[in-house]
Amino acid sequence: MKIRAKQNLSLLLCVLPALLVYGVFKLYPAVSGVYYAMTDWNGLSKTYSFVGLDNFAEVLTDGYYWQAMLFTLKYVLVMVVIANVIALMLAVAIESRRRAKGLFRTVFYMPNMISMVIGGYMWMFIFTRVLYFMSDNWGMTFLDQSWIGDPNYAFFAIIVVAAWGAIGYLMIIYMAALQGVSPQLKEAAYLDGANAWQTFWRVTFPMIGHALTICIFWTLNSAFQVFDVIYTLTGGGPGRATQSVALNIYEEAFQGNVRFGYATAKSTVLFAIVLVITIVQLRLMKGREQEL
Amino acid sequence: MKQKRLLVDWLVFIALTLAALFTLFPLLMALMNSFKTNGQLLTDVVGWPQSLNFDNYLRTWDKMHYLRSLGNNLYLAIISVTLIVLLSALAGWRLCRTKTKLSGFLFSLFVFSMLIPFSSIMIPLYRVVLVLKLKNSLFGLCLVYAGLGVSMAIFLYHGFVKGIPLELEEAAAIDGCTMRQTFFSIVMPMLSPITATIVITNALWIWNDFLLPLVVISKNDKYTLLLSTNTLFGQYSSDWTAILSALILAAVPVIIFYAIFQKRILEGIADGAVKG
Repeated sequence: MKIRAKQNLSLLLCVLPALLVYGVFKLYPAVSGVYYAMTDWNGLSKTYSFVGLDNFAEVLTDGYYWQAMLFTLKYVLVMVVIANVIALMLAVAIESRRRAKGLFRTVFYMPNMISMVIGGYMWMFIFTRVLYFMSDNWGMTFLDQSWIGDPNYAFFAIIVVAAWGAIGYLMIIYMAALQGVSPQLKEAAYLDGANAWQTFWRVTFPMIGHALTICIFWTLNSAFQVFDVIYTLTGGGPGRATQSVALNIYEEAFQGNVRFGYATAKSTVLFAIVLVITIVQLRLMKGREQEL
Repeated sequence: MKQKRLLVDWLVFIALTLAALFTLFPLLMALMNSFKTNGQLLTDVVGWPQSLNFDNYLRTWDKMHYLRSLGNNLYLAIISVTLIVLLSALAGWRLCRTKTKLSGFLFSLFVFSMLIPFSSIMIPLYRVVLVLKLKNSLFGLCLVYAGLGVSMAIFLYHGFVKGIPLELEEAAAIDGCTMRQTFFSIVMPMLSPITATIVITNALWIWNDFLLPLVVISKNDKYTLLLSTNTLFGQYSSDWTAILSALILAAVPVIIFYAIFQKRILEGIADGAVKG
């Protein structure tokens, strides 16, 4: 008993510094957020009052919020599919090569090193200047679109830039997983007369299920919070056509209204939705992994 | 059969090369046009610059207070990462080595919040920053990063310590090492592989983070590279030669870092992702 108490004391001493910063800057905000979401706190005045579930009721009928949510869902769906398919294709292609593997890996990972703010502005230059030049001078007239100004093209532009920035990371994870697939298995499949296509889907793909779970989890999570790319590229415009939920919350809290309590209610709803979707995803995919 | 294999190899190579060119395209365009005059940019966007003139760079170097912004970035990254590593290694180590109910509870307390998205805690966090008078304080921002970063790092350290045999620490205790000595001279060196992973992932995250500094820092002299670049973008609106040179300047430190530590970074990223 005494030993246990002593152990716990030394544990507490060692954990305390981490617990302190964690408690103050993550745990407390997370917990108190639920409370602020039920107040009319506006960030400027010192006093605020408890309004119960009024904010949540308002969120439910907030057209802009759900428009942003719908946009975000569309973005998440497209990103999860496109980024993962391309990343896996690149990983397989690079792994199939004997030479220049390192060079390709280096190049494809490069965008991940640079902040999406920088990447976003660079692409803005491409979309507003370079593509027009190509269309005017090289006869590539299909490039002559309002890439930032038209909602449909703006969505496409955002996906291009976001995928450009995310694919390298996913590719690295897929490559690590592919390297873990034993060559004997592939050899055996080859001897049994399987072609490359069959070998990939029947042997390799089931073996990298773990990487697939990680990558889809990561894409889901980061795509739901998308901010930098849209902030730099379209700023949520034209109008609010490309506004993501994170941008909508930022706008509510830090531009114009400063309705902190209400914005917190919005972010709580976002958290609940993300939580449910990621838990469902992990359950589904973990279950599949074990079957194999 | 062999010929078909060769053809496929070539097709793969061509596809990869095209994808690589696409990846580098915005970077190359930014780099090339950052050396042009505004006149040349207007008449020939995709051509080579007529000469290597650094006028744009000289203009933006001062405008974005490059060295000061770079210094702020370095300060943030170094202090925050040091804090995260020390606090998490100590906590993760003891949490793994202590087998009590309390330790199980504390560990799950750290881990459970890993799913909470940043945008969900942003506003209450901003309030904490205001109340503690940490707005516009770079050190305060480091503390925030530490608070946000420790759970993942503790999780990784906890998992790594599990794989280290206990005997060394026991031997050290028998030889009369204090806990502090054991931690710094026995445990920390053994943790170095996972420490490398944690340093890399956290340094990159903090270096490239935009939203948190955007919210917490509003004084020019505390601006990070990204905040300075962002302001410049507002000021110069369509003066692309200036903006592009600023973007290149802001990207150069990471590119150099990448060129030097490339292998380690790629290993660390894969490692951190799989274990996380």
